[in-house]
Amino acid sequence: MNEIILMAHVLFGVACLLVAVWLLVDVLHASEANLARIRRLSWAAAGCMWIAFLIAGYWYVTKYPADKAVILKGPWPFAHTFFMETKEHLVILLLLLASYLPIAAANDLAASREARRLVLCLTAAMAGLALLVEGHGAIIAAGVKLALLAQPH
Amino acid sequence: MNRNLGKYTVSFGLSLALCSVLNALLVVAKEKSPAVAAAMQRLTGHHWITHSAGVVLLFVLFGCLFSLLNGGRGPQLGPNRLLGFVAGGVLTGVFLILGFYLVVD
Repeated sequence: MNEIILMAHVLFGVACLLVAVWLLVDVLHASEANLARIRRLSWAAAGCMWIAFLIAGYWYVTKYPADKAVILKGPWPFAHTFFMETKEHLVILLLLLASYLPIAAANDLAASREARRLVLCLTAAMAGLALLVEGHGAIIAAGVKLALLAQPH
Repeated sequence: MNRNLGKYTVSFGLSLALCSVLNALLVVAKEKSPAVAAAMQRLTGHHWITHSAGVVLLFVLFGCLFSLLNGGRGPQLGPNRLLGFVAGGVLTGVFLILGFYLVVD
């Protein structure tokens, strides 16, 4: 069950990233024809991010302290002291961006260049930040793995 | 003034910019002050739950409050200035967090 919880937050995080990139492309070609899809996708991105955030929060509060202890005794303590510490606060920013996205996408993107530019910047920021925290997650996982490998058998 | 942007887009955009910076400042406050960290821990049982719930609540609160400005018409801000605030706030938030843990902490 622990593994499912751990992987579920990655899955929904990646889904949010993919939807943000899809939105970026769709908004570049915004017209009356794809306006409804853009709005649905913006809600999907927000939904994926909220699910990822809640699952990750549960993991972080209840399961991560054991991993943290392992990481800090291993060869990569910075996997916690820098990467986890920054990740746990950058995802709050990502959550705010994702929550704001449907509000910005509610404007008439087909008619308004300004609204399109705003949504393009939001989706680009979300994709960049999501990639950054996914990378952080990989380094945290490597920190645990290296610490366990370094333990005497 | 808000050419083509709804009042909630402007209000919550400003709230996003503000809360991005507040999020980073809260990181600095709780890392530098054990009293702040302990108070946040006490409030919900975990400092991170208090931190994230607090920032999300502030985002909603400021967004709603900003939308009431100017007799309910919301902040009178052009799209370029709004984008400047949003980009500036988010980038400041990201670099404050990364810089704090990289350099100061």
